[in-house]
Amino acid sequence: MDRNQLRRQVAHMRSSLIEQNYLDQQQFVQLEDLEDDSNPNFVEEIVTLFYKDSSRLFQKIDQALHSIPMDFARLDDYMHQFKGSSSSIGAIKVKNECTQFKECCLAGNAEGCSRAFQRVKQEHEALKRQLETYFQLRRQAGLVQRS
Amino acid sequence: MIPLCLMILEKMLRTCLYEVTKCNRAEIALSLLRENKNGYDVVISDVHMPDMDGFKLLEHIGLEMDLPVIMMSADDGKSVVMKGVTHGACDYLIKPVRIEALKNIWQHVVRKKKRGVEGCGAIRKCG
Repeated sequence: MDRNQLRRQVAHMRSSLIEQNYLDQQQFVQLEDLEDDSNPNFVEEIVTLFYKDSSRLFQKIDQALHSIPMDFARLDDYMHQFKGSSSSIGAIKVKNECTQFKECCLAGNAEGCSRAFQRVKQEHEALKRQLETYFQLRRQAGLVQRS
Repeated sequence: MIPLCLMILEKMLRTCLYEVTKCNRAEIALSLLRENKNGYDVVISDVHMPDMDGFKLLEHIGLEMDLPVIMMSADDGKSVVMKGVTHGACDYLIKPVRIEALKNIWQHVVRKKKRGVEGCGAIRKCG
């Protein structure tokens, strides 16, 4: 497949991710626009950081969900941080699940928090798979240099 | 551990041709500001920080350095925004911050200086 075809595939995948609400158009495209010769892998670096962040926060949330009594203020705090990260990369579906989780914290709903956290993790995982494919495509299309 | 949004903010500001110093701790930011009062023209701070409330930082800066401070938060509730205004923030940005919102922050520097605040920090405008 030639480079132009690959680039079209990249553009197509990006549109698809946006249409399916995985990613917010404005936010994600804005991030890609920040890439330049001095920083060609910026978006991938940011996303990698996002996954390091989420891994760390998920561990903390997991622990907090298993503590008795449940510390809703602490859970809300952790999720607030994760929600901030999610919205900064334009991860809409993930962010929406974070909002649900926070509402359960506000309501002191332990069962609700556990269920909401499962959905956060699901959306997070789904996005991760999509982005892995996306960045692979970008690399193949020569849009991103190998670091 | 530098938060993600801080890295993105830094990149955006640099794209707008601002010089940026980022800190993940308010205490560190304060000591940098104290050490070099004329080295900075504007401060951008989150409301929600692990070691200090953003409004507390805003108060400190107002009292000690009188630099323009821009608050930012994912919280767009009226009361929080009002709190920013009453505590003396010169602007309040809702996260996720768009680069367009950052392009013209230099106006806050000019406005402050026009009000007769002493200082000789350089103003760096975006191109």
